[in-house]
Amino acid sequence: MDRRSFLRGMCVGGVATFAMPTVRFAQVPGQGKLVFVLLRGGFDGLAAVVPVGDPSYEGLRGRMAFSRQEVSMLDGDFGLASGLTPWTTLWEENELVALHAMSIPYRTRSHFDGQAILETGLARPEGSSDGWLNRLLQVMDGDRAGIAVAAGMPRSLSGAHPVSSWSPAQLGAVDDGYLDRLGVLYRSDPALHDRFEAALQLRDVAPEMDDMNGGGRRGPGRVDSIMTAAARFLREPDGPNVAALEFSGWDTHANQGMQGGQLDRLLAQLAEGVLTFRREMGQAWADTTVVVMTEFGRTARPNGTQGTDHGTGGAGFVIGPGVARSAVVADWPGLSDRALYQGRDLEPTLDTRAVLKGVIAGTFDLTSSQVNRVFPGSDSVRGLWDVMW
Amino acid sequence: MRREMRALNRFGLGARIGEAERLNDPKGWVLSQLSGSSRAGSWASDLPSLAEAGDVFSALRRARAQRDQAALAEARAALREHAVRESTAMLSERVRTERPFLERWVAFWSNHLCVSTAAKQQVAALAGHYERQAIRPHVLGRFDELVLATARHPAMLFYLDNFQSIGPESQAGRRTARRGRARGLNENYARELLELHTVGVDGGYAQDDVEALARILTGWTVDGVGPGSTQEASMRFVFRAVLHEPGDKTVLGRRYRASGVGEGEHVIRDLCGRPETARFLAAKLVRHFVSDDPPPGAVDEIAEVFTSSGGDLQRVAEALVDLPDVWETPHRKFRTPQEWIVAVLRAAHFDDVPDSVPQLLRQLRHTPWAPSSPKGYGDTRGEWADPEALMSRAELARSMSRRFVGRRGNGGLDAAQLLSVVAPEDADAVRGLLTDSSIGMDERVALAIGGPAFQWR
Repeated sequence: MDRRSFLRGMCVGGVATFAMPTVRFAQVPGQGKLVFVLLRGGFDGLAAVVPVGDPSYEGLRGRMAFSRQEVSMLDGDFGLASGLTPWTTLWEENELVALHAMSIPYRTRSHFDGQAILETGLARPEGSSDGWLNRLLQVMDGDRAGIAVAAGMPRSLSGAHPVSSWSPAQLGAVDDGYLDRLGVLYRSDPALHDRFEAALQLRDVAPEMDDMNGGGRRGPGRVDSIMTAAARFLREPDGPNVAALEFSGWDTHANQGMQGGQLDRLLAQLAEGVLTFRREMGQAWADTTVVVMTEFGRTARPNGTQGTDHGTGGAGFVIGPGVARSAVVADWPGLSDRALYQGRDLEPTLDTRAVLKGVIAGTFDLTSSQVNRVFPGSDSVRGLWDVMW
Repeated sequence: MRREMRALNRFGLGARIGEAERLNDPKGWVLSQLSGSSRAGSWASDLPSLAEAGDVFSALRRARAQRDQAALAEARAALREHAVRESTAMLSERVRTERPFLERWVAFWSNHLCVSTAAKQQVAALAGHYERQAIRPHVLGRFDELVLATARHPAMLFYLDNFQSIGPESQAGRRTARRGRARGLNENYARELLELHTVGVDGGYAQDDVEALARILTGWTVDGVGPGSTQEASMRFVFRAVLHEPGDKTVLGRRYRASGVGEGEHVIRDLCGRPETARFLAAKLVRHFVSDDPPPGAVDEIAEVFTSSGGDLQRVAEALVDLPDVWETPHRKFRTPQEWIVAVLRAAHFDDVPDSVPQLLRQLRHTPWAPSSPKGYGDTRGEWADPEALMSRAELARSMSRRFVGRRGNGGLDAAQLLSVVAPEDADAVRGLLTDSSIGMDERVALAIGGPAFQWR
């Protein structure tokens, strides 16, 4: 099957759209909420949204290839790896867009350059640029807020617009008088003052988090507890509009595993975490979009140690009631030797910025000039405006 | 007093109460710390040998392989105990040392060439030994010897997967291919050796260079863990020719004739000597010791010394101390959590770290030898001074002031005295509250160490 007929085959089901991917984003009513989930380490898209319909797939992955029976088929050609099976609910309710053969606009197999480009939203790695989520807060009308629910401030949310951060640490209790006095001391330090004020404000919401299950920063409960916390901040009527979350552990150079293996367990935590988030958001879910991305895909072939090395094209997700309809969105390049980028990676055919431009335009009802200010230098990159309806 | 504070805080690990007043020649004091051996002193004599570390490591692997839950729980407990012992010993030395600049220098290179327990728990068995035996002895020697020592240490070989990388055309590679069990190359270490350890991401290499370097390094493995090991092996570095990819290889335009382990030694020395490496390291050093935005002139100066001295790290350290920017300009650096805790304990004249410190560092996301990636921990304000981190420090300052810091000395620590260990301009802003007798003394101590003045070096 050549690429053209593979594409044709993809279209027959009427679910996946291929020619030029068109995914519509809704004019979500209300304020709009956006959650950007960064999977640090480069997660293996080919082992998450599995192209079992590509004739080269099985030969290429060899012992690491999944059969059709081992995945939850989304359409005739792609299936979700077993860890992501809980997301079939999202698929059935038209809340899941899987993106594939996607990449940042710069070819690098470096974690750090890759993350810097994805997080700054620029076309090249550059020293000290603001993150794109921070620029989004700067260009939106009105007083918008952003929060990192993460250990540390992700680059994507860093920048000139003041933002908050929170993570579920169980530290010693302190009284308000002490914090007030400390706040007075911080007022004398212009480099730190805003940040300490932001931390004080978050304490008003944080006490609710005591009942979060599974706490801790590691282990299976961690994704779930971070997602729960994020929902509790965002669902407030005056809660943040933008949240940055990040999970690591995706750099699977060795023993990546199959069903129940290393990668699959991470995918399962992610899947459950997103469903928990959706449940916790309650009514506010209607205005919410979750985007899941990573800095690069991994090699199309397994390496010598039952893992995969740093690659190029990969997968991602847009999740929420605002997506036009469930779909696998990819201008699928195929996995034949000739089709692979430099003979080793999935060829990227979709720019992460195109997706993000469509998502923010739809979620926050932005003009194209606002969107282009969030992603400077991307005027020629057409946003996938119709990812959302 | 400003030069004294620069010496003690910028190059040291934090001033002790009363120390600045006794310092006659701040710069001379910093430089004098570079004479003598950099090896670990008597404090390390009882710490585990490689064989003992290997036992902890192997017990966990064995229990995992056998899926023996009881043995696994026991091995994990042993690993935790071992890790706490190692990190407590290391941190205690930082608290009590009279050569704090040397300890900072060790910490910098240990982080630059980091191994981490974050992705692979078992690294915890080896990380302390790695810093003591691969990093420490070489930090005042040549950079290439330092990198070669890390390349040969089991912690690095295991952490970045090189121990299991097999040349596809090697004897072992062809044999496994015939049996239909294709095992082969893993390029993880080769890539980070270029990107993070030597020439840097802008060092001009391409994917072909990464792969060629990975081929060169096939066979660099760990006896007892890597392919071809026996049960009773030693956990030492070993070069196994049967895993090594045959043939000549080309990295960054230079051809390496097939010569086994010699290829790797040769290419690592070449990478360490490249001008891109000098620039990359100089910028990182100046960022660490001077400013988050390294002044270009200072970077040029350090790169020049690095190159002209053949990568002599003692000369590079001296050149950093000689930079006018360090002493004259108003730059300051935000303390990392480890630097902050160590500075608190030094200020209060502790001799070692309380048992709870590893846990505190975990809460502050700065567990020793556990960065989330091979890039190591960052050292800029942007990476550490987010709101949540400041609140965590505020909370920990309060709990430390109650639990131990406040109880030091005769009748407790005096908060106002703590102002003598921070820069005078920072101290003035907070003096009022710290001498307010309507606030309890242990809270005032918390305000001193949790407040903004104490967060900078």
